[in-house]
Amino acid sequence: MSPIDRTPPRLDRLRIPPVALAAGFAALAGAALILVSGHDPLSAYAEIVRGSLSPESLPDTLAWATPLVGMTLAAALPLRGGMVNLGGDGQLVIGGLVAALAPLVLAGPGPFGAAAGLALAALGGGLYAALAAWGEVRHGVPMLISSLLLSYPAVGVTSYLARFPLRDVATGLPQTLMVPLDARLPVLTGALNAGSLLIAAIALAVVVFDRRTSAGYELRMRGKNARFAGYGGVRLGRQAVGTMFASGAIAGLVGATLVLGSQFRFIDGALLTPAYTWSGLMAALLVGGEPVGAILAALFFAALQTGGFAMQRETSVPRVLTLVLQAIVILFLAMRQGIGRRT
Amino acid sequence: MPEIAAAGIVKRYGGLVANDGVTLSAERGEIHGVMGENGAGKTTLMNILFGMQAPDAGEIRLRGAAVRFRSQIDAMAAGLGMVHQSFKLFGSLTAWENIVYGAEPRRGPFVDRRAARARVAGLAARHRLAVDPDARVGDLSVGVRQRIEILKALHRDARILILDEPTAVLTPPERDALFEVLKSLAAEGRTVLLVTHKLHEATAITDRVTILRDGRTVATLRTADTGAAEIVRAMTGRSVNLEVRKRPRAPGVPLLRAIDVTIASPSGRPAVDRVSLTVRGGEIVGIAGVAGNGQSELVEALVGLRKPDHGRVELCGRDVTDADVPARRAAGLAYIPEDRAAVGSAPSASAADNLAMGFHRAPPLARGLFVDPAAFAAWALALIRRYAIRIANERVAVGTLSGGNLQKIVVARELAHEAPALIAEQPTRGLDVGATETIHERLVAERDSGRAVLLVSAELGEILALSDRVLVMFEGRILADLPQERADEQSVGLLMAGRGTEPG
Repeated sequence: MSPIDRTPPRLDRLRIPPVALAAGFAALAGAALILVSGHDPLSAYAEIVRGSLSPESLPDTLAWATPLVGMTLAAALPLRGGMVNLGGDGQLVIGGLVAALAPLVLAGPGPFGAAAGLALAALGGGLYAALAAWGEVRHGVPMLISSLLLSYPAVGVTSYLARFPLRDVATGLPQTLMVPLDARLPVLTGALNAGSLLIAAIALAVVVFDRRTSAGYELRMRGKNARFAGYGGVRLGRQAVGTMFASGAIAGLVGATLVLGSQFRFIDGALLTPAYTWSGLMAALLVGGEPVGAILAALFFAALQTGGFAMQRETSVPRVLTLVLQAIVILFLAMRQGIGRRT
Repeated sequence: MPEIAAAGIVKRYGGLVANDGVTLSAERGEIHGVMGENGAGKTTLMNILFGMQAPDAGEIRLRGAAVRFRSQIDAMAAGLGMVHQSFKLFGSLTAWENIVYGAEPRRGPFVDRRAARARVAGLAARHRLAVDPDARVGDLSVGVRQRIEILKALHRDARILILDEPTAVLTPPERDALFEVLKSLAAEGRTVLLVTHKLHEATAITDRVTILRDGRTVATLRTADTGAAEIVRAMTGRSVNLEVRKRPRAPGVPLLRAIDVTIASPSGRPAVDRVSLTVRGGEIVGIAGVAGNGQSELVEALVGLRKPDHGRVELCGRDVTDADVPARRAAGLAYIPEDRAAVGSAPSASAADNLAMGFHRAPPLARGLFVDPAAFAAWALALIRRYAIRIANERVAVGTLSGGNLQKIVVARELAHEAPALIAEQPTRGLDVGATETIHERLVAERDSGRAVLLVSAELGEILALSDRVLVMFEGRILADLPQERADEQSVGLLMAGRGTEPG
């Protein structure tokens, strides 16, 4: 009956997807940069692709992507509800330290140590993040501030513990004792360990939560209009605490997979140097917290970064270029999505 | 030569054609009405005339010369001014600061405050728009804010003034005063475009009206030669029954009660002052009053968005004073909020998502913890059909809909709860005849099926037509509780202004 249903297909629908467009522009700009610096852009790009996606380098890319995807999910989940968790670093190191200590303290057979480490890391990171949400709900401290400020003491205290009371005095480095062999995550192939499977499972769970659950629907509605969600009967305080707990738990698990999967002990600063929290936040912000888009963005950044190492090795184009490319991609995407967005 | 003329204006939003070859022409010194139902394309047309949106096709001529505005700044420079439905003012600044903003008298690099104040005071006096230049806008009533909006346009010496539904927020005396001002503006050669859907306004002050329907101009009529029925027919394409038909009432048990509710406000005088009211099943109780006399705060306390400082709220016989929103909804309350875009919906979310709120945890929309997208779509399509909502499909974001269609989304969802008690706050604000009629019918149907309806409206006609009992709220207190037979425009109007003739 409605006359509006029969609209002809419009040119808009044939538009190039914004991500491809942004990547294309970034590639062109990067090519110009490489030319100016006196190298061959085509061979540099070929190295990036080969160094990230060829069969022998793909496991490296995935291993590198694992913590990045994890921290992207930790950022994306609250963002979906219009909340920002800036405390990923703190939750990450809490998870890492708890995972490093649990197998040493809790005696148990074989995989029990790993399981306990993962579970307690998630609990620790989750509770710490939930504290920030509780501060906002009960005392009106904006979560943007409380989550970030809570991060500093966590980083400081874990650093102190690794340097002094819990230090492995045999090594002379600021790090804890090694995790027993049977409490480490099993290796799948090359650099890949079971931690990647765990993060992949979490990624799947977050996507299903977002698209197919009542709670995911409520979180999306909160992100679109929190007053509407509250008016419609969503308990906003409980939702904030629960969401931040889940976000912190994912961050804690990322710390635990790094410690139990590749570092085998808590090394002061090792979890923070790659800045997973901030790369993840960026990937999540680009797509407004939409989980599938965020995961794809994180994988893309991971490929770019591992490809950059190969390019530097093979062509003497510095890998900083890939960071330039990443920045340009983000700028273009932000222009398409953030600026001038219509309501 | 017409002062302003638009020809063949086309504007599409996605699949929806908002304007489909609209033509409009207004003479110098004319008050020209623009009428039409919601979604007819009135606001779109005004936004295009004022440069806020670019038309996909068509032409605008000012005094014969074709113009192309890139933004409202161009339009203002060309002598247009617009008073929007929702005012665009800085609440923390004073009246004069708001009025001169963007066109400040200067002395060197500085704002010449004295000249600015004097100019504002002069404009206000000349046009009899009583405004205290130094008052903080946030403290002023809606009526005064509207005068400030008009002065803002006059400060820039707008030759053409567009007013979008200006009377929706005014009391009858304020409305009459506004009309006097508009007449004198027209008398000095300015052109007024008055967007309205109220017949008596069109017949009272316009010289001609242009009527839009489904994005097209269907008629331009000389008001003096035209009857109200003819205008309605042109607007709706049919005749509309403006009377509300109700069965005799048979009130049942009290379903919604407020007992001695008091809400403090920062200004010292309580926003709500010891208000008690009872709404029984099978009756509509109307709260009349000028916006800002405590109605919003009272409703927030009733629905659980705010805790009263004193007093109790009962729902279906249960004390719900300490219950939160979901608990009250579960106990049997539905609520159509005053602000459909900021509270009643998530404008960037799809119709399916908007219509599912509150139904998303139980079958058929959900099974266990999981939702069923197909059931979301089916549920939305059923409601869209039942309420004849003009929308391309259920995946469209509701923020793109006209005010009336968005309101239908909110009403459809809230009535689908079939809750024993319903609170409807300004349910037809800014809606056209057809949509208003639909919503009035629904409210009466709710009453007739034995539900309790609390209607809060600044629209006196609506209160008088629908309510079985009329409460008048003024400065946080209920001044009167009148049965329908004893409530008329005169007595309630006086009470709304705080002049109580009713002893108790």
